[in-house]
Amino acid sequence: MNPDLSTPQPPSKRKLAATTAIALAVAAVLLVTIVLPAEYGVDPLHTGAALGLTTLSAPAAAKAVGVPAGATLYKPVQDGPIGYYGGAYKVDSTVLKLGPYEYLEYKYRLEKGASMMFSWTATAAVTHDFHGDPGSGKGAEQSYDKKDRQASTGTLVAPFAGMHGWFWENPSSETITITLNSSGFYSSAMESRSDRTRRAHELTSLKRSPETGKNESK
Amino acid sequence: MTRLTSIVTALALAFSVSVPLSAHDDYRVIGIVTKVQATKLDVKARDGKNYSIKLNKETFINRDKKKVGASELKAGQSVVVDATGDSQDDLLALEVRMVPAIAPSAAK
Repeated sequence: MNPDLSTPQPPSKRKLAATTAIALAVAAVLLVTIVLPAEYGVDPLHTGAALGLTTLSAPAAAKAVGVPAGATLYKPVQDGPIGYYGGAYKVDSTVLKLGPYEYLEYKYRLEKGASMMFSWTATAAVTHDFHGDPGSGKGAEQSYDKKDRQASTGTLVAPFAGMHGWFWENPSSETITITLNSSGFYSSAMESRSDRTRRAHELTSLKRSPETGKNESK
Repeated sequence: MTRLTSIVTALALAFSVSVPLSAHDDYRVIGIVTKVQATKLDVKARDGKNYSIKLNKETFINRDKKKVGASELKAGQSVVVDATGDSQDDLLALEVRMVPAIAPSAAK
Protein backbone atom coordinates (compact mmCIF):
# COMPACT_ATOMS: atom_id res chain seq x y z
CA MET A 1 0.00 0.00 0.00
CA ASN A 2 1.09 3.45 -0.80
CA PRO A 3 0.08 5.81 1.99
CA ASP A 4 0.60 8.83 -0.26
CA LEU A 5 -2.25 7.74 -2.59
CA SER A 6 -4.92 7.41 0.20
CA THR A 7 -4.19 10.75 1.90
CA PRO A 8 -5.73 13.72 0.08
CA GLN A 9 -3.49 16.66 -0.37
CA PRO A 10 -4.69 19.76 1.57
CA PRO A 11 -5.33 22.78 -0.64
CA SER A 12 -2.77 25.45 -0.62
CA LYS A 13 -3.32 28.56 1.48
CA ARG A 14 -3.67 30.62 -1.69
CA LYS A 15 -6.37 28.32 -3.04
CA LEU A 16 -8.23 28.39 0.29
CA ALA A 17 -8.14 32.17 0.36
CA ALA A 18 -9.38 32.39 -3.22
CA THR A 19 -12.23 29.93 -2.60
CA THR A 20 -13.26 31.76 0.57
CA ALA A 21 -13.21 35.09 -1.25
CA ILE A 22 -15.39 33.69 -4.06
CA ALA A 23 -17.86 32.21 -1.54
CA LEU A 24 -18.08 35.51 0.32
CA ALA A 25 -18.61 37.40 -2.92
CA VAL A 26 -21.41 35.06 -4.01
CA ALA A 27 -22.99 35.31 -0.56
CA ALA A 28 -22.82 39.10 -0.70
CA VAL A 29 -24.42 39.17 -4.15
CA LEU A 30 -27.22 36.86 -2.98
CA LEU A 31 -27.67 38.95 0.16
CA VAL A 32 -28.00 42.20 -1.76
CA THR A 33 -29.99 40.94 -4.71
CA ILE A 34 -32.33 38.41 -3.07
CA VAL A 35 -32.26 38.21 0.74
CA LEU A 36 -32.46 41.92 1.56
CA PRO A 37 -35.29 42.68 -0.93
CA ALA A 38 -37.27 39.59 0.07
CA GLU A 39 -36.82 39.77 3.83
CA TYR A 40 -36.45 43.46 4.59
CA GLY A 41 -37.66 45.35 1.51
CA VAL A 42 -34.20 46.80 1.01
CA ASP A 43 -33.58 46.79 -2.72
CA PRO A 44 -30.56 48.93 -3.67
CA LEU A 45 -30.02 47.26 -7.05
CA HIS A 46 -33.77 46.94 -7.86
CA THR A 47 -33.29 43.24 -8.40
CA GLY A 48 -36.00 42.51 -5.82
CA ALA A 49 -38.53 44.57 -7.75
CA ALA A 50 -37.47 42.92 -11.01
CA LEU A 51 -37.84 39.45 -9.53
CA GLY A 52 -41.01 40.28 -7.60
CA LEU A 53 -39.34 39.65 -4.27
CA THR A 54 -40.21 42.94 -2.56
CA THR A 55 -43.84 41.85 -2.16
CA LEU A 56 -42.62 39.14 0.20
CA SER A 57 -41.37 41.76 2.63
CA ALA A 58 -44.57 43.83 2.56
CA PRO A 59 -46.52 43.85 5.84
CA ALA A 60 -49.17 41.20 6.17
CA ALA A 61 -51.99 43.76 6.22
CA ALA A 62 -50.86 45.13 2.90
CA LYS A 63 -51.38 41.70 1.40
CA ALA A 64 -55.01 41.71 2.40
CA VAL A 65 -57.32 41.22 -0.50
CA GLY A 66 -59.02 44.53 0.26
CA VAL A 67 -61.77 46.18 2.18
CA PRO A 68 -65.03 44.23 2.35
CA ALA A 69 -67.92 45.53 0.34
CA GLY A 70 -69.91 48.18 2.13
CA ALA A 71 -67.02 49.76 3.96
CA THR A 72 -66.81 53.48 3.34
CA LEU A 73 -63.90 55.73 4.23
CA TYR A 74 -64.77 55.90 7.91
CA LYS A 75 -67.67 53.50 8.35
CA PRO A 76 -66.44 50.05 9.27
CA VAL A 77 -67.63 46.72 8.05
CA GLN A 78 -67.49 44.23 10.86
CA ASP A 79 -66.07 40.78 10.20
CA GLY A 80 -66.07 38.97 13.51
CA PRO A 81 -63.99 40.98 15.94
CA ILE A 82 -62.38 42.99 13.14
CA GLY A 83 -63.71 46.26 11.75
CA TYR A 84 -62.45 47.07 8.26
CA TYR A 85 -62.25 50.64 7.00
CA GLY A 86 -61.63 52.12 3.59
CA GLY A 87 -60.18 55.35 4.97
CA ALA A 88 -56.92 56.35 6.52
CA TYR A 89 -56.16 55.89 10.18
CA LYS A 90 -55.82 59.26 11.92
CA VAL A 91 -53.95 60.52 14.93
CA ASP A 92 -54.37 63.79 16.79
CA SER A 93 -52.46 65.52 19.53
CA THR A 94 -53.45 68.90 20.89
CA VAL A 95 -52.92 71.18 23.87
CA LEU A 96 -55.87 73.32 24.94
CA LYS A 97 -55.83 76.26 27.34
CA LEU A 98 -58.93 76.98 29.37
CA GLY A 99 -59.06 80.42 30.97
CA PRO A 100 -60.95 80.99 34.23
CA TYR A 101 -64.54 79.69 33.99
CA GLU A 102 -64.24 79.12 30.25
CA TYR A 103 -65.49 75.97 28.58
CA LEU A 104 -64.86 74.29 25.30
CA GLU A 105 -66.00 71.31 23.29
CA TYR A 106 -63.59 69.20 21.30
CA LYS A 107 -65.24 66.62 19.09
CA TYR A 108 -64.45 64.19 16.31
CA ARG A 109 -66.74 63.12 13.49
CA LEU A 110 -67.23 59.38 13.69
CA GLU A 111 -69.51 57.10 11.75
CA LYS A 112 -71.62 54.53 13.56
CA GLY A 113 -69.41 51.70 14.77
CA ALA A 114 -66.17 53.57 14.12
CA SER A 115 -63.62 53.42 16.91
CA MET A 116 -61.05 55.65 18.49
CA MET A 117 -58.63 55.56 21.41
CA PHE A 118 -57.99 58.57 23.60
CA SER A 119 -56.02 59.86 26.54
CA TRP A 120 -56.25 63.30 28.09
CA THR A 121 -54.91 64.97 31.18
CA ALA A 122 -55.56 68.36 32.74
CA THR A 123 -53.43 70.42 35.09
CA ALA A 124 -56.41 70.58 37.50
CA ALA A 125 -59.82 68.94 37.78
CA VAL A 126 -62.32 70.10 35.16
CA THR A 127 -66.06 69.75 34.78
CA HIS A 128 -66.32 67.13 32.11
CA ASP A 129 -68.87 65.49 29.85
CA PHE A 130 -67.80 62.93 27.27
CA HIS A 131 -70.73 62.78 24.88
CA GLY A 132 -72.00 62.33 21.36
CA ASP A 133 -74.16 64.57 19.21
CA PRO A 134 -75.97 63.13 16.19
CA GLY A 135 -76.64 66.68 14.96
CA SER A 136 -80.40 66.43 15.05
CA GLY A 137 -80.93 69.39 17.34
CA LYS A 138 -80.80 70.27 21.01
CA GLY A 139 -81.57 67.44 23.38
CA ALA A 140 -80.30 64.76 21.02
CA GLU A 141 -76.89 64.59 22.68
CA GLN A 142 -76.01 61.40 24.53
CA SER A 143 -73.71 61.55 27.54
CA TYR A 144 -71.20 58.71 27.98
CA ASP A 145 -69.35 59.94 31.06
CA LYS A 146 -70.26 63.04 33.01
CA LYS A 147 -68.27 63.87 36.11
CA ASP A 148 -65.42 66.07 37.26
CA ARG A 149 -62.13 64.55 36.18
CA GLN A 150 -58.49 65.45 35.76
CA ALA A 151 -57.61 62.69 33.32
CA SER A 152 -59.15 59.89 31.32
CA THR A 153 -57.95 57.14 29.02
CA GLY A 154 -60.06 54.77 26.99
CA THR A 155 -61.65 53.72 23.75
CA LEU A 156 -64.94 54.63 22.12
CA VAL A 157 -67.01 52.79 19.55
CA ALA A 158 -69.45 55.39 18.25
CA PRO A 159 -73.05 54.31 18.99
CA PHE A 160 -74.31 56.55 16.17
CA ALA A 161 -72.93 58.75 13.42
CA GLY A 162 -72.14 62.27 14.53
CA MET A 163 -69.75 64.38 16.57
CA HIS A 164 -68.23 62.65 19.58
CA GLY A 165 -65.97 64.23 22.16
CA TRP A 166 -65.60 66.24 25.31
CA PHE A 167 -67.08 69.22 27.05
CA TRP A 168 -64.51 70.63 29.44
CA GLU A 169 -65.19 73.52 31.77
CA ASN A 170 -62.73 75.28 34.00
CA PRO A 171 -64.48 75.69 37.37
CA SER A 172 -61.69 77.81 38.83
CA SER A 173 -60.18 81.25 38.52
CA GLU A 174 -56.85 79.87 37.30
CA THR A 175 -55.99 78.82 33.76
CA ILE A 176 -56.02 75.06 33.13
CA THR A 177 -54.16 73.25 30.36
CA ILE A 178 -55.58 70.09 28.81
CA THR A 179 -53.43 67.73 26.74
CA LEU A 180 -55.32 65.36 24.46
CA ASN A 181 -53.96 62.49 22.40
CA SER A 182 -56.17 60.27 20.30
CA SER A 183 -56.16 57.98 17.30
CA GLY A 184 -58.82 56.29 15.28
CA PHE A 185 -61.03 56.39 12.24
CA TYR A 186 -62.45 59.88 12.48
CA SER A 187 -62.75 62.30 9.60
CA SER A 188 -62.53 65.70 11.27
CA ALA A 189 -62.09 67.51 14.59
CA MET A 190 -63.81 70.68 15.73
CA GLU A 191 -63.10 72.91 18.72
CA SER A 192 -65.91 75.20 19.96
CA ARG A 193 -65.32 77.62 22.81
CA SER A 194 -67.44 79.56 25.27
CA ASP A 195 -66.46 82.79 23.51
CA ARG A 196 -68.31 81.35 20.48
CA THR A 197 -65.18 80.79 18.42
CA ARG A 198 -64.94 77.60 16.39
CA ARG A 199 -61.85 76.07 14.89
CA ALA A 200 -61.31 72.96 12.82
CA HIS A 201 -58.19 71.03 13.78
CA GLU A 202 -55.93 69.46 11.20
CA LEU A 203 -55.51 65.74 11.75
CA THR A 204 -52.54 63.58 10.88
CA SER A 205 -53.45 60.83 8.47
CA LEU A 206 -51.53 57.59 8.44
CA LYS A 207 -51.90 56.15 4.99
CA ARG A 208 -50.31 53.02 3.61
CA SER A 209 -48.26 53.63 0.51
CA PRO A 210 -49.24 51.27 -2.31
CA GLU A 211 -45.65 51.37 -3.55
CA THR A 212 -43.70 50.71 -0.37
CA GLY A 213 -46.41 49.08 1.73
CA LYS A 214 -45.33 51.33 4.56
CA ASN A 215 -47.29 53.98 6.44
CA GLU A 216 -46.83 57.55 5.36
CA SER A 217 -48.11 60.47 7.42
CA LYS A 218 -49.39 63.74 6.08
CA MET B 1 -107.12 74.31 -5.41
CA THR B 2 -104.78 77.08 -6.50
CA ARG B 3 -105.80 79.13 -3.46
CA LEU B 4 -105.15 76.17 -1.16
CA THR B 5 -101.72 75.64 -2.70
CA SER B 6 -100.92 79.32 -2.21
CA ILE B 7 -101.95 79.21 1.44
CA VAL B 8 -99.92 76.09 2.13
CA THR B 9 -96.89 77.58 0.36
CA ALA B 10 -97.24 80.83 2.31
CA LEU B 11 -97.50 78.95 5.61
CA ALA B 12 -94.50 76.83 4.75
CA LEU B 13 -92.46 79.93 3.91
CA ALA B 14 -93.57 81.69 7.08
CA PHE B 15 -92.63 78.65 9.16
CA SER B 16 -89.23 78.27 7.52
CA VAL B 17 -88.44 81.91 8.30
CA SER B 18 -89.82 81.90 11.83
CA VAL B 19 -87.94 78.81 13.01
CA PRO B 20 -84.43 80.29 12.66
CA LEU B 21 -85.59 83.59 14.11
CA SER B 22 -86.96 81.94 17.21
CA ALA B 23 -83.78 79.95 17.89
CA HIS B 24 -81.63 81.72 20.45
CA ASP B 25 -77.94 81.23 20.91
CA ASP B 26 -76.13 80.62 24.18
CA TYR B 27 -73.53 83.06 25.41
CA ARG B 28 -71.12 83.01 28.32
CA VAL B 29 -69.84 86.35 29.57
CA ILE B 30 -66.95 86.28 32.04
CA GLY B 31 -65.98 89.60 33.56
CA ILE B 32 -66.57 92.30 36.13
CA VAL B 33 -69.84 94.04 36.93
CA THR B 34 -69.70 97.71 36.05
CA LYS B 35 -73.32 98.68 36.76
CA VAL B 36 -76.36 97.03 38.30
CA GLN B 37 -79.98 98.00 37.70
CA ALA B 38 -83.20 96.21 38.65
CA THR B 39 -83.56 94.58 35.24
CA LYS B 40 -80.14 95.05 33.73
CA LEU B 41 -76.55 94.11 34.46
CA ASP B 42 -73.58 95.75 32.75
CA VAL B 43 -70.45 93.62 32.56
CA LYS B 44 -67.01 94.37 31.20
CA ALA B 45 -65.76 91.07 29.85
CA ARG B 46 -62.18 89.87 30.04
CA ASP B 47 -61.82 90.43 26.31
CA GLY B 48 -62.61 94.13 26.84
CA LYS B 49 -66.14 94.08 25.43
CA ASN B 50 -68.99 95.68 27.36
CA TYR B 51 -72.22 93.75 27.67
CA SER B 52 -75.61 94.96 28.85
CA ILE B 53 -77.55 91.90 29.93
CA LYS B 54 -81.20 91.77 30.94
CA LEU B 55 -82.25 90.21 34.23
CA ASN B 56 -85.67 88.80 35.01
CA LYS B 57 -87.36 86.84 37.79
CA GLU B 58 -86.11 83.55 36.42
CA THR B 59 -82.47 84.62 36.40
CA PHE B 60 -80.63 82.37 38.86
CA ILE B 61 -78.20 84.56 40.76
CA ASN B 62 -75.92 82.50 42.97
CA ARG B 63 -72.71 82.24 44.91
CA ASP B 64 -71.23 78.75 45.40
CA LYS B 65 -74.42 77.38 43.77
CA LYS B 66 -76.58 78.94 46.50
CA LYS B 67 -79.20 81.42 45.40
CA VAL B 68 -78.69 85.01 46.46
CA GLY B 69 -80.68 88.19 45.87
CA ALA B 70 -79.95 90.60 43.04
CA SER B 71 -79.00 93.14 45.67
CA GLU B 72 -75.81 91.13 46.29
CA LEU B 73 -74.56 92.13 42.87
CA LYS B 74 -72.23 95.11 43.13
CA ALA B 75 -69.95 96.92 40.75
CA GLY B 76 -66.51 95.34 40.80
CA GLN B 77 -67.84 91.84 41.46
CA SER B 78 -66.44 89.12 39.19
CA VAL B 79 -69.23 87.17 37.54
CA VAL B 80 -69.86 84.39 35.06
CA VAL B 81 -73.07 85.02 33.16
CA ASP B 82 -74.78 82.38 31.06
CA ALA B 83 -77.22 84.15 28.79
CA THR B 84 -79.38 83.55 25.76
CA GLY B 85 -80.24 85.82 22.87
CA ASP B 86 -80.13 86.55 19.20
CA SER B 87 -76.94 88.59 19.49
CA GLN B 88 -74.53 89.89 22.10
CA ASP B 89 -76.51 93.14 22.14
CA ASP B 90 -79.73 91.38 23.09
CA LEU B 91 -79.03 89.02 25.94
CA LEU B 92 -81.13 87.70 28.79
CA ALA B 93 -79.25 86.27 31.75
CA LEU B 94 -80.24 82.73 32.68
CA GLU B 95 -77.66 82.44 35.44
CA VAL B 96 -75.30 84.87 37.12
CA ARG B 97 -72.55 83.22 39.13
CA MET B 98 -70.66 85.38 41.61
CA VAL B 99 -67.09 84.12 41.62
CA PRO B 100 -63.77 85.03 43.26
CA ALA B 101 -61.68 87.65 41.53
CA ILE B 102 -60.43 86.45 38.18
CA ALA B 103 -56.77 86.70 37.27
CA PRO B 104 -56.34 89.59 34.83
CA SER B 105 -54.20 87.78 32.26
CA ALA B 106 -56.20 85.45 30.06
CA ALA B 107 -54.00 82.76 28.61
CA LYS B 108 -55.37 80.89 25.63
